[in-house]
Amino acid sequence: MEIAIKNKFTQISQPTATQTVKALSKRFFSSLFTLFLLISLLFILIRLSPGDPTKKFVSAQLSPELSQKISEKFMLNEPVIEQYFAFLSNAIKADLGISYNYRQPVLKVVWEYFSFTFVFSILSLSIQILFSLSIALFVSRRKNKLLSKGISNLSLFVYSIPSFVLGVSLIYLFSVVLNVFPISGLKSLDHDNISFIGKILDQFRHLILPLITLSAAGTAMFYKYIKEGMDEVLHQTYVLNLIASGIREKEILKKHIIPNAVSPLISVAGIELGVLMGGALITEVIFSLPGMGRLTVDSIFSRDYPLIIGCVLTAGVVMILANFLADIIKIKLDKRLLKGLLN
Amino acid sequence: MKFKILHWFVLLWIVLLLFQYDVLLQYFALWFSYVKLVFTDLSGAFDILSLKLVDIILSVKLFIVLPLLYFVFRKKWTYLQSKLSFSYALLLLLIWILVFAPIVTNENPEFSKNLSVTKLLPPFSSIKFVNLIGNKGEALNEKESFIQQVNTTIKPPFNEQIIFIDSIIISESIISYQKGQITELQKEELLLKDGKPVIENKFFLLGTDEYGRDNFARLIYGTRISLFVGFGAVIISFFIGIILGFIAGYKGGIFDTSLNRFAELFLSFPVIYLIILILALFGSSLFSVIIVLGISGWMTLFKIVRGEVVSLKQKDFFITAELIGLNKSQLLTKEILPVILAPVIVNLLFLFSNVILAEAALSYLGLGTGNLYPSWGAMINSGQEYIYKAWWMIVFPGTALVLTLFAVNSSGKRINRLINPRLEE
Repeated sequence: MEIAIKNKFTQISQPTATQTVKALSKRFFSSLFTLFLLISLLFILIRLSPGDPTKKFVSAQLSPELSQKISEKFMLNEPVIEQYFAFLSNAIKADLGISYNYRQPVLKVVWEYFSFTFVFSILSLSIQILFSLSIALFVSRRKNKLLSKGISNLSLFVYSIPSFVLGVSLIYLFSVVLNVFPISGLKSLDHDNISFIGKILDQFRHLILPLITLSAAGTAMFYKYIKEGMDEVLHQTYVLNLIASGIREKEILKKHIIPNAVSPLISVAGIELGVLMGGALITEVIFSLPGMGRLTVDSIFSRDYPLIIGCVLTAGVVMILANFLADIIKIKLDKRLLKGLLN
Repeated sequence: MKFKILHWFVLLWIVLLLFQYDVLLQYFALWFSYVKLVFTDLSGAFDILSLKLVDIILSVKLFIVLPLLYFVFRKKWTYLQSKLSFSYALLLLLIWILVFAPIVTNENPEFSKNLSVTKLLPPFSSIKFVNLIGNKGEALNEKESFIQQVNTTIKPPFNEQIIFIDSIIISESIISYQKGQITELQKEELLLKDGKPVIENKFFLLGTDEYGRDNFARLIYGTRISLFVGFGAVIISFFIGIILGFIAGYKGGIFDTSLNRFAELFLSFPVIYLIILILALFGSSLFSVIIVLGISGWMTLFKIVRGEVVSLKQKDFFITAELIGLNKSQLLTKEILPVILAPVIVNLLFLFSNVILAEAALSYLGLGTGNLYPSWGAMINSGQEYIYKAWWMIVFPGTALVLTLFAVNSSGKRINRLINPRLEE
């Protein structure tokens, strides 16, 4: 009897391969559609902005031949609708014109700076998950109401601290008063003269304050989600059953509570990446780090429109990609979600 | 005895009355002579009217009327009897400062003079100044005398009749020092009393910034900008979210899918990049910041409203209302809004804190409301340049910002708990 029910259950819950492919391709196409919407939105914004919209692609800073080439490529002398299709096809080909200041293709410039932001964000994300998970575990093991409440208030407070306030305060405390960490930048002045390991240590020393700045708010947020998930799971009847059956607490925590509590985290992680990229933008400006965020802000002040558009588009593409990946991981963990996607 | 919200208001009122009674008296006199002017010279009274003047008169009026209003409405305003918590106290203090900013400080946040002496003064420092005799001229009529009164009451951003000095020597000739620079002042130019120049002290509670501007006044008026941007953007988000959510939920079909997709596009995007792009393309001013922040925050509200409308439109009371013949806007305001008000308010509070944060971040990046208004983010940005010399330029706006965000977030959390009592079990 039991086996029969189990078989029936697995039959229902296990999706077929074609179903999986169908759901994933559906998700993929909806991502593509979002990308298309994003590019269209960018084009509309450029057209609506005051001043000559065609001047957003060429400027006097570029040589006449280059300007000619770009205006042909983007069909700047044609009607709007053709400009739109030219913009669309160029964006898909990842060709967004020439940056005024760097006199290089936008993608090349963005790519140079993007790698830093990528490593920086990934480092910060792992720090956030690691810390929030261990704090949540620590708190729920202690079963101390006062501690739990105190930490949850503290997390709200940390979450309320804007990254630039935290960053500037950290600079003041650790760089000005205590003088233990460098104030800004990624490399010391004598960076080229030190050994390879010294170089890594030097960069690490420069990254400590920025990483704290970027990770604090996210850690607080992740902590909130994990703690809430854990509390919810802890009050479920099956956990009570497990405790009553005499299974050790450690085992329950490891096998039942953590996997169930962490699953909402992944869907948050997709959104969190957006927060992270925005936060990275400000953190890079505070510590003047060579990342994409600072590139964006600098390009605004130098009115380098192709570069601004390129940065925004890159950020959007990264976000869409990250959300797609987060969804795939979610489906991998919880097959029931496939049905939701198919409907 | 529990400490009620009412007590907090009374405390704030008394503190303001005790510490700023001279300012209040000045503003009173101004208000009184303005009323006099309205009766004598109506068109002239309208010509003079400036935003600052309206601001002062309104805030003084409200300050006086507030106790009377309480006695009239004390039966209705029951929430004044509820218990005060730390976050509510902060939130109310902020709103208090927003409304009564000109009474809290009568300094002009843009006032700067004699940079070499006044710049980067630490908190609690005071600096001497001497007065020059200005050629005021005789007031010919009511209007001109009123203008003179306005000029003495409302501090202008520049005042050529005072000179800040480090020290002064009075002998045959009057010699003043300004950071090593020696100037001889003419006795005829100075405002004298018993044959001696009048030397007064100006006190800077929270120090000054790199242009010698009063940090305290900037902080107070920065509160105004932050909250103003917050309110404006939240109202825009509210309308966009409610209306689009209603359309998507009520009409369904193609509207629903396309609007949902659009919301997801906004949600899945690092919004600050989009905001920066729009501000870069359209230029940044106070109103463009408000509009952009308003446009970029409607998504969560949209999702809430849409979800609720989808479930509500199958309920009996809604179908009845439809059959009676209520039009769309009536359906929205009379049938839907009252039901979803609670989650919407919580969402708006969180949105409010997000907007304040975003405005400060934009100002920090130099893309905010511009140099016309003091903003906390811009203050922190300029403080970072002087981080070795002037900690007070960062600490005070930073603290104000953190406390504001904490107050709003934790009030939101509290209200959420009130609405969903089962949340914290």
